[in-house]
Amino acid sequence: MFADLRQHVSDWIFRVASPEVPPVTLVQRRIFILPTRQGYGFGLTLVLLLLASINYNLSLGFLLTFLLASMAGVAMLHTWRNLAHLRLRPGRCDPVFAEETAAFGVSVESPSLTRFAIGLRRHGEDPVYADVGTGEPAAMALPLQARRRGVVRCGRLEIFTRYPLGLFHAWSYVDFDLAVIVYPRPDTSAGVPPQEGREESREGIPVPGDEEFNMLRSYRAGDSPRMIAWKALARGQGLLTKEFSAMASSELWLDWADARAPDVEGRLAILAHWVLQADGFGQAYGLRLPARRIEADRGEAHRARCLEALALFEEGA
Amino acid sequence: MNAIASPSYSPHLDVRNVLWLLASMAFVVAPHLFRLPYWVAIFFLVVVGWRAWISWNAIHFPPRLMVAAITIAATVGTWLQFGRITGREGGVTLLVVMAALKLLEMRTQREVTLAIYLGFFLVLTNFLFSQAIPLGFYLLACVWIFTGTLIGFNRVGRSPGIAERLRPAAALLVQALPLMAAFFLLFPRVQGPLWALPRDVRSGQTGLSDTMSPGKISELIKSDAIAFRVRFDGDRPPYSLLYWRGPVLPVLDGSTWRARRPTPAGPLDYARTGRPTRYEVIVEPNSINAFFALDVPAAAPPEAILTHDLQVFSRRPVDEKRRYEMTSWLDYRYGAHEDPAVLSVASRYDPDRNPRAVALGRSWAAKAGGDPRAIVALAAQFFNRDFAYTLEPPELDPRDPYDDFLFNTKRGFCEHYAGSFALLMRAAGIPARVVTGYQGGEVNPIDNELIVRQSDAHAWTEIWIPGEGWLRVDPTAAVSPLRVEQGVNAALGPIGVIPNLIASDRLGVLAGLRFGWQVLNGRWDQWVVGYDQTRQRDFFARLGYPSIDWRTLGFWLVIATFAIGAAVTLGLLVRERPRRTEPSLAAWNRYCAKLARAGLERAAHEGPLDFLARVRARKPPWAADAEEITRRYVAARYGGGASREELRELRARVRRFEPA
Repeated sequence: MFADLRQHVSDWIFRVASPEVPPVTLVQRRIFILPTRQGYGFGLTLVLLLLASINYNLSLGFLLTFLLASMAGVAMLHTWRNLAHLRLRPGRCDPVFAEETAAFGVSVESPSLTRFAIGLRRHGEDPVYADVGTGEPAAMALPLQARRRGVVRCGRLEIFTRYPLGLFHAWSYVDFDLAVIVYPRPDTSAGVPPQEGREESREGIPVPGDEEFNMLRSYRAGDSPRMIAWKALARGQGLLTKEFSAMASSELWLDWADARAPDVEGRLAILAHWVLQADGFGQAYGLRLPARRIEADRGEAHRARCLEALALFEEGA
Repeated sequence: MNAIASPSYSPHLDVRNVLWLLASMAFVVAPHLFRLPYWVAIFFLVVVGWRAWISWNAIHFPPRLMVAAITIAATVGTWLQFGRITGREGGVTLLVVMAALKLLEMRTQREVTLAIYLGFFLVLTNFLFSQAIPLGFYLLACVWIFTGTLIGFNRVGRSPGIAERLRPAAALLVQALPLMAAFFLLFPRVQGPLWALPRDVRSGQTGLSDTMSPGKISELIKSDAIAFRVRFDGDRPPYSLLYWRGPVLPVLDGSTWRARRPTPAGPLDYARTGRPTRYEVIVEPNSINAFFALDVPAAAPPEAILTHDLQVFSRRPVDEKRRYEMTSWLDYRYGAHEDPAVLSVASRYDPDRNPRAVALGRSWAAKAGGDPRAIVALAAQFFNRDFAYTLEPPELDPRDPYDDFLFNTKRGFCEHYAGSFALLMRAAGIPARVVTGYQGGEVNPIDNELIVRQSDAHAWTEIWIPGEGWLRVDPTAAVSPLRVEQGVNAALGPIGVIPNLIASDRLGVLAGLRFGWQVLNGRWDQWVVGYDQTRQRDFFARLGYPSIDWRTLGFWLVIATFAIGAAVTLGLLVRERPRRTEPSLAAWNRYCAKLARAGLERAAHEGPLDFLARVRARKPPWAADAEEITRRYVAARYGGGASREELRELRARVRRFEPA
């Protein structure tokens, strides 16, 4: 009950206008600080020490008590300082397939001194920790199990620290509206995409061995690493991409209607699998969904566009 | 409580962290191990070693049942040793034993924290035994190490090295010192104890007791422990008048002199002349609650009582150093109208014990015709013959020790002389009693403080003469005037027993060091150890706040806390200020800012070369300048660094670069 109440109060007090524009600097008014459970325990220890000092008239006992109490006070400032003025930016939030582990990246940068044991967590989940050195931002990533395709949003993040003594918990909230796109989990039992019956192309995916090497052209961003002419690179000819005649001339259409499954998710899973297959073979392919059509192309960017379309299918996003 | 739960960075405690904790605990317990029964030391070391072994080899913990059994066994052991599990030795033993067991079974971060707090408490228990300077600093070091340990447990990832623990711990401690000092001075002091202290909280003090028999004080005199220190307000009286009055022993049972139950003084019966002597005393703990004062005290300090026979007793046990101010009259007449009951006790003796001494005393009375002064003169003559002053008198006959001493051995120490003289006076019809205390002391030339040691313990007598009252007679002075004029070491001469090596080395370097150290100890005792309610009031009275109360103190404490807190915060923020940006990076940042204004912002993850590629692709006209700037920047920052000229060139190019 106390925890609930606390949550309500904290939600009300610590409202953050979201989402925020990066970079976010943790200025002093954004940082909250409260004693931890160990902090309260330390307070109790101090009371006992004080009582014992009074009772036995131990002047050095008083000194010890006051030294520890002052140290706790200084430690509070250090804990606050350990968090203050950190600069946060959204980091990599790479798409994943469903049932994989997504990672929400946050890049944390210290303007000056090294910050130790900086924790980052989503509400109610296990935190990740990092030391943030000077010079280079620390890339922190919060893992999250992606259960189903679509978009998972990170929501408000808590960045906190208890260093150096663990007596105080200093924290701040930040909301970058981080999101990870979760692709449908490919249905590997779906086999190869159907090769006939569609308008533009009669050709399907070439089976390995059929490829007919055609030419080398210069590398374009997005070309699959599989198509890079590594040997040419090794010879010092720069980045070249191998083109195959089969690919150059053929286009494959992955159609919603061809994916035969009892439900939407099943169809998306099949399509996802086909996208990967087609991409794997360097085939140019297009994607046709009930409300959307992606023209045939190839390369990483195209693959990402197709999978994203599948991920967001009927998500309203 | 969800939001602020205990951190559990790893399911297993880090080995290095655990070893640090074990070492800190061993450091803090070490002084106890020399004080407590040997089995406690063995138990502690074995259990801590066991725990180190468990962590080092990542083996299983002992079963809970076993730990419980050991706990019970250790508690019973403590009880058997001390007859209880409270009190100073018993309580500390139990605490040490429990700390060891806590270390043995600790598995979680929370238990670690608990163990560390227990360690802080163990630091305090050391002060029950001593609050001396060296131990104070030793324990400060222990607190430092404990803090470093706590820091280690609050780090993540790799366990930090020694410097990474001790440096931040030192920073915390140093920054805490001003606030600590403010609290120490300003925190309203309450006079303890809050609850009844176990009787053995202070024990084993040496010092005078309330009985005296031949041989007792000479044992005491071998100790050079300090009994008390005195600071005179004005001139120090001559050495021969420094009689520090302690227990008065009017009851004789043949060989032993005993005190009576103290009765508070009624109206004091003084006739005094001259000026009073004022002084301040810091007395070491003693078992008889005595405050020592120069013969005779004018009045008792507020926290003490003055008895009818002019002893000063503290109202509470002198179980720690205590400070008091006294005024004494060195030239006095006291007790001219003494209570007959007191005189009756002071005249009693058993004629069957020490019969030869009794006969001698009676013969003096007959010879002198009852004139007390003539009797004393006869006694002085008697003692001036072949008596010798020695610290190592021969054994005396237990039944008639004073006969044996006066007529056979004739070698004795102050208690022999005082005891036999008082007996002789009683036999001669003069009321007499033995007074014990200290005589003389040693002046520290550095701060003029008088240090009175147990080796200055002395016994003398008082006789009562009608119309005059009690008069001090020191028969030892008759035998060895040096004892009273210059102190025990002078009296004993080169062949006497000199308990400490450096006692005779008054002028050497060693003596200088010793006096310096004593001054330091004196200040420490006065201002740190002795800083209590009274001292606190004095301190603020000296600052011009004669009647300070806890509200005022509290107010200033709050002010001081905020002021110091603000200062520390400011200090932290100054260090927080970003370092001066490296020049090539500054130029690069300006370049990026210009591009950003022109609509081409560098992404956080984008390296210089990636950004250049993007600039080239998006804005071909800027490519040449961008390429040159990027190349120079990369060379300066990631290559071998840049010369002054190269940096200037980079800056110039950035300045000239105008993307539009």
